[in-house]
Amino acid sequence: MSPRTIKALLKKDIALFTGNRFYLLITVIGLIFYIAIYLILPSKVDEKLSLGMYAPVVPPAFEQLTAQGAEIDFFETEEALKQVVLDGDHQVGVSLPADIMDIWNAGGKPDITVYYSATAPPEIAEAIVTLIKELSYIQTGQALQFDTTEEILGPDLLGAQIALRDRMRPMLAVLILLTEVMTLAALIAVEIEQGTARALLVTPMRTSDLFAAKGILGVGLALGQAVIFMGLVGGFSHQPILILTTLILASIFVVGAGFLLASLARDTNAVTGWGIMVLILLAVPGFGAVVPGLLADWAKAIPSYYLIDTVNRVVNYGAGWGDVSGNLLVMSGITAVLLGAGLAVLRRRFQ
Amino acid sequence: MKFNRVGILVKNEVLHGPKDVMLVIAVVFPILAALFINLAFGNIFTDKAKLGIYDQGTSRVVPILESSDTIIYKSFNSELALRAAAADGAIDMGIVLPGDFDIVLGTGTVSLKAFIWGESQAKNRALIPIALADAVRAAAGSELPVTIDTVALGDEASLPWSDRLLPLIVLMGVFYSGLMIPSSALINEKQHRTLEALYVTPATLGDIFLSKGIIAVALATVMGVLTLVLSGSFSGPAPLIVLVLFLGAMMATEIGLLAGAWVGDMNSLFAVLKAGGILLFGPAIVFMFPQIPSWVGYVFPTYYVIRPVVDLAVNGASVGDVAVFIGVLSAIVVLGGLAVASVVRRLSTQALRLNA
Repeated sequence: MSPRTIKALLKKDIALFTGNRFYLLITVIGLIFYIAIYLILPSKVDEKLSLGMYAPVVPPAFEQLTAQGAEIDFFETEEALKQVVLDGDHQVGVSLPADIMDIWNAGGKPDITVYYSATAPPEIAEAIVTLIKELSYIQTGQALQFDTTEEILGPDLLGAQIALRDRMRPMLAVLILLTEVMTLAALIAVEIEQGTARALLVTPMRTSDLFAAKGILGVGLALGQAVIFMGLVGGFSHQPILILTTLILASIFVVGAGFLLASLARDTNAVTGWGIMVLILLAVPGFGAVVPGLLADWAKAIPSYYLIDTVNRVVNYGAGWGDVSGNLLVMSGITAVLLGAGLAVLRRRFQ
Repeated sequence: MKFNRVGILVKNEVLHGPKDVMLVIAVVFPILAALFINLAFGNIFTDKAKLGIYDQGTSRVVPILESSDTIIYKSFNSELALRAAAADGAIDMGIVLPGDFDIVLGTGTVSLKAFIWGESQAKNRALIPIALADAVRAAAGSELPVTIDTVALGDEASLPWSDRLLPLIVLMGVFYSGLMIPSSALINEKQHRTLEALYVTPATLGDIFLSKGIIAVALATVMGVLTLVLSGSFSGPAPLIVLVLFLGAMMATEIGLLAGAWVGDMNSLFAVLKAGGILLFGPAIVFMFPQIPSWVGYVFPTYYVIRPVVDLAVNGASVGDVAVFIGVLSAIVVLGGLAVASVVRRLSTQALRLNA
């Protein structure tokens, strides 16, 4: 391989990439979009039920509300309570009558009003109603006897929940990387479509130089963006070397996939079309990180699973090299096969 | 314009036309999106606790839990499966109901085994036992010692996220097909110079545009219906919903034909779609966030497709409720048709880049 030739090819490809306004625009806007999505999403998880309460007298059983996982703000008047719900400060407000204990003592049924914001998810009000029903039973001496033996599975994150945006972080990072499959494939497809690849091959340049230049460009494009994203969203706060290694591996995977896509697609239109389909497929495991328990075991057949799972476990659960070595090994194998296949098919297409 | 020529063109397009990746995107992508959004996103934004039960007997509590609005209920056939589901977060809590649960509950304390997902939130861990107790009391016919009134405050109604995302799914179904199929077909014909070949036959440009439009309208209507069905929202007056989707498909196709006439290559088409995407999918954002004033929706042409569909399919509206929207939609479609006719009349071989 000739470094001079590779450098010249890289210069040409960068000019080609920046000259394609469509992909350049997508690349820049995409990166901004991903970072914006992360920053817009809530950074905390509201672990407790938050409610406002107007209660001139608080029944003893209702004092357990806080222990039941609720955060309560008390208000002086029912009107004030309604106003905070209307203002959106609380999604639900509970109003207890002043004579609630007297009514119960007399064997009656007190009226409790639950105010909820019409824009709040319906399940919030339903949860509060269920809670109040149970506390009323307890208050009237009708407690149910459950003796529960509990087993916590996995790390107990009570009080330290992973926010939705952090759950999305691995998926966003890997999506940024995988989008470059399309970019790289399009750059190669243009060469094939316009015949410039054949023209280049009649020069002293060898196919290995061409592939090396394309590979370096692909890794650079994918890795550069992923590193910028992860840097800005705190993705390197734990085990930065391990994350960087995973991203490098992912970038090489992108190059292999890009080579294969370019060699199989008929033209740039086909690259764009099939690229979107491939991207959707590769993005599927990402949703498993966002919604735990969503995906069945078949998702492990999608290569990107091992990338996303690695980033997820390291960034969100503090995993180390030993914990993810299996994933890295599988991913290295898949990447080697993909790269080999991509190079072989592409070489045949060029020659 | 001769109908038999258009018919031949439609037949040839369907039988021998390009079955390229655009067709795959237009058909497969909306279906995947509908399935995915329905399966996944409906649950991402829900705050409901997920309870799994392995019932070793036939407890009367189970049917009550199944119909509970407070939690999401899942049934398991073994303790092992229940444990695995709690371990990977498919449920917040898994409870094993012993075979004699109902009997023992009436006489004393019941011992339950519970598997808790470590990432489950405090409120979910608290709410599930309460929901279970509520179901037990309902099964036992206990009298609730309190009257609870629920009062909604504010004007805007809350819709579950699966319903809020419905407009986006339907718009994707109708507009991916209606817009992409004719525009990409025309661009492909221009790029491969087959339009030039067609142009020297007795077929006029009007015939060619019409044939591509007919295919796109048919496909887009079917895709609109399909995405509604897949989302479980095809309810209400079916003929009226299909009519609205048909009109929406016509609007999408008209935009697609105009784009196909003006745009020279696929990359430019994607760039145009990206820039114009906000006009097409803007109403979906209005539906997603009730905080956005509803009048904003009136600005977007596609609002008049999606508003009657959502009103009819989700909100149970009557014909009278949506008549104005359908009227405006029809007017837009007529105007679009006139615009396409005008463009086709003015198009020259040079404008189409034929003989270039």
